[in-house]
Amino acid sequence: MKNWRVYLLAFIFILTGLVIFFFKMSKWDKDFRPGQGGALWDVVIQMNYKGRGEASRIRLTLPSTNERQIIYHEDFDNDLDFSTHNHQRTNNRIGYWNSDLLDKSGSVRYSFSVQVRSQQFEIPQEARISTHPENDYPDDIQFWLRSTKHIQSDNPSIYKHLKKIIRKKDKKAAVVTEKIFKYIRGEIKYQSEKGSKDATQTLDALTADCGGQARLFVAFSRAAGIPSRLVGGILLDEGVKTVTHVWAENYIGGTWIPFDVVNNHFAFLPANYLEMYRGDYALIRHMRLESFEYFFVIEHGKIPPADPFFTLYSLPLPFQNSVKVLLLIPIGVLVVTIFRVLIGVPTFGTFAPIILALAFREISLGTGLACLSLMIGIGCVLRIFLDWLKVLVVPRISLIITTVVIMTVGIMVFGNLIGQGQLLYISLFPMIIITWTIERFSVVQTEDGTVAALKIAAGTTLVAMTAYFLMDHPALRFYLFTYPELLLGVMGLLLLLGRYTGLRLSELWRFRELRKIKG
Amino acid sequence: MLFLKGESFGLLGMNRRNGDYLLPNNPRSQYPLVDDKLQTKRKLEEFGFPTAVTYLEITHPFEISRLKLLRRYREFVIKPARGSAGRGILVIGDREGRRVQKTNGQWLRHDELEYHVTNILAGLYSLGGTDDACFVEYRVHSHPVFKNISYEGVPDVRVVIYRGIPVMAMLRLPTKQSDGKANLHQGAMGTGIRLDTGTTVNAVHRNSIVTKHPDTGVSVAGVQVPFWEQILETASAVYPIFGMGYIGVDFVIDVLLGPVILEVNARPGLNIQLANQKGLRHRLDAVDFAGEKVEEWLPAERFAFAKELARL
Repeated sequence: MKNWRVYLLAFIFILTGLVIFFFKMSKWDKDFRPGQGGALWDVVIQMNYKGRGEASRIRLTLPSTNERQIIYHEDFDNDLDFSTHNHQRTNNRIGYWNSDLLDKSGSVRYSFSVQVRSQQFEIPQEARISTHPENDYPDDIQFWLRSTKHIQSDNPSIYKHLKKIIRKKDKKAAVVTEKIFKYIRGEIKYQSEKGSKDATQTLDALTADCGGQARLFVAFSRAAGIPSRLVGGILLDEGVKTVTHVWAENYIGGTWIPFDVVNNHFAFLPANYLEMYRGDYALIRHMRLESFEYFFVIEHGKIPPADPFFTLYSLPLPFQNSVKVLLLIPIGVLVVTIFRVLIGVPTFGTFAPIILALAFREISLGTGLACLSLMIGIGCVLRIFLDWLKVLVVPRISLIITTVVIMTVGIMVFGNLIGQGQLLYISLFPMIIITWTIERFSVVQTEDGTVAALKIAAGTTLVAMTAYFLMDHPALRFYLFTYPELLLGVMGLLLLLGRYTGLRLSELWRFRELRKIKG
Repeated sequence: MLFLKGESFGLLGMNRRNGDYLLPNNPRSQYPLVDDKLQTKRKLEEFGFPTAVTYLEITHPFEISRLKLLRRYREFVIKPARGSAGRGILVIGDREGRRVQKTNGQWLRHDELEYHVTNILAGLYSLGGTDDACFVEYRVHSHPVFKNISYEGVPDVRVVIYRGIPVMAMLRLPTKQSDGKANLHQGAMGTGIRLDTGTTVNAVHRNSIVTKHPDTGVSVAGVQVPFWEQILETASAVYPIFGMGYIGVDFVIDVLLGPVILEVNARPGLNIQLANQKGLRHRLDAVDFAGEKVEEWLPAERFAFAKELARL
């Protein structure tokens, strides 16, 4: 027998898959050492909205991976149209949720995991303040020297104070930054407030929250000739919160170095600082909404990130969900193969159950099965009627397809009318597959009897449901997306099943009379 | 292991049939020859094997009007060329003007007949649903020996031929449930046949072992299949025509013509094992054990070997 070749190939497939899988797992263990200030967090940003019947938009800056933090397992789940866009100057990654007509309330969930560590930054001590920034810095750095509406670095009172803080001969960026830092720490008191102050307001009031103090720090730094900017983010703590945090970073000797005046972190960030955006922006903005609220749910994470070079997480976020669905198909076909080859369950069409299971994922199992049975029932009645009219085959099937479409639209309208929004997803039902199922069902029914047709229908439902429950399992989705090499293992199993020539489970029943005699 | 339990008495399962017998022995290129009954018939006629006479071939919708030519015939059978499991076969047993009567007594108008042919041409009954051809042939009248053990329809003799050698045979008897068709899964009854003597042994109906015909109540065991030697000789000779190593050949025994090959099946079912109360694998192994060049044997050698197999 040539079986050894198949076994060898299957073995190679499974082994390769497992080796890559365990290699990736072990590599993460090395990168991730909790004792050294690294920490894993799972963050959910939940945004609840109520529309007022206009074109609406929600804008959220999404965190990016940098040397201190790794963002992974990003996921979004919502009813609105989602897209992402990279801001050219700041390189902030901005997610947009759009809707042409938003007249209901709903929610948008964006979740991700982050591995973040504390970091002490080395300040290049010899770096001098540039006297000709237009020559010394590229455009995108010069941008961070300009005075803005809320960071008024060209304001006379800022200059006046700066002269008191630093001496003329202070030319080293490190020294100047430290003096500004100490001045604000000494002079400005912390006070939490509604709506942050700008730089001059902070200087006048001598009290401010993190935003006001960071703006003043940035204004002084820019006035002194050091490129400086705000950084916004979240302080990670287990629990539910709505507060964001802002700190600053200065461009010294070619690198950006963070300074948090309020929490007294000088060139240092602790392990709970999640950076979300750079620049004087708001984390979340929304347009033309009746009401809007958001909160963060933060928990300790358990699963470390994958090596960023090998992962599917590097794909643009809006496409990740479709890849997740694609990766489920091999699991579905594995289910079909097991049911056919090992158990011997008859189905309408080999892979139709998978396509149905994928459709069930969008519309929920119970509703999906109910709608499907309804459509097939009505379709079969129609087919009997068309049979009686002696309509030719191709026009007849086309008529059934049209009826399936009409029924789909009808269910959508009905679902909308009674406020069952999930019924709208029935538009994702595979019309052609349903039509062929109707056709096959009625052919089997006429030729082999109703019992035979119902048996095959039950088999189809069983396989579709099993595939559905497996494919809907979040852990499986996660593992396949994180470790797509597991598909090699699936291929190995399929190869083994391809040379399983033993009896099917159903054949033990089918030939039970023979067993009674011989067995 | 649970699944292996059947292996001890040589039960052949669907997976092994497909993986170890169909895939290695039946070349893909030969399938059209047996899947298309019209091609099968032409080939059989070319080599001088007995088949039912074809009255009419209809391959295009515009030819449907030629069905009128059948007005001279009282009896005929309409079949799809690529039908599977007996689907789409219409047996006409009587005529009254433009109406014809199915053998189950139902009357059909001429337009109903045309509609049926249209469905056949559009591929409703064909493997894979592709466009199909249709033919009308001589209606076989079953040998009187089967009269008491079949209900309407025509019983047929299925012989499974492995590498040219007949390895197992059964008699398939239509029942009321099978609507006169001889397919076991549609409710027909299967009766094992001893390869050496041609007498029937056990019977299976709907996957359970029975002794009497469900409709007539007559015992089906111990019936001598007429022309058995001739059937086995023909079965031993068909290999070179089709070049397929694992096929089922269906014979019907006409009262006038004797054994006639009705069709050839490239995926013969496994129920024949139930009908004979014997697994196929011992006999298949015996054929493989008989030598590398079994395919080159003469029909007479195959015939003799098949009779030997009856003892297994």
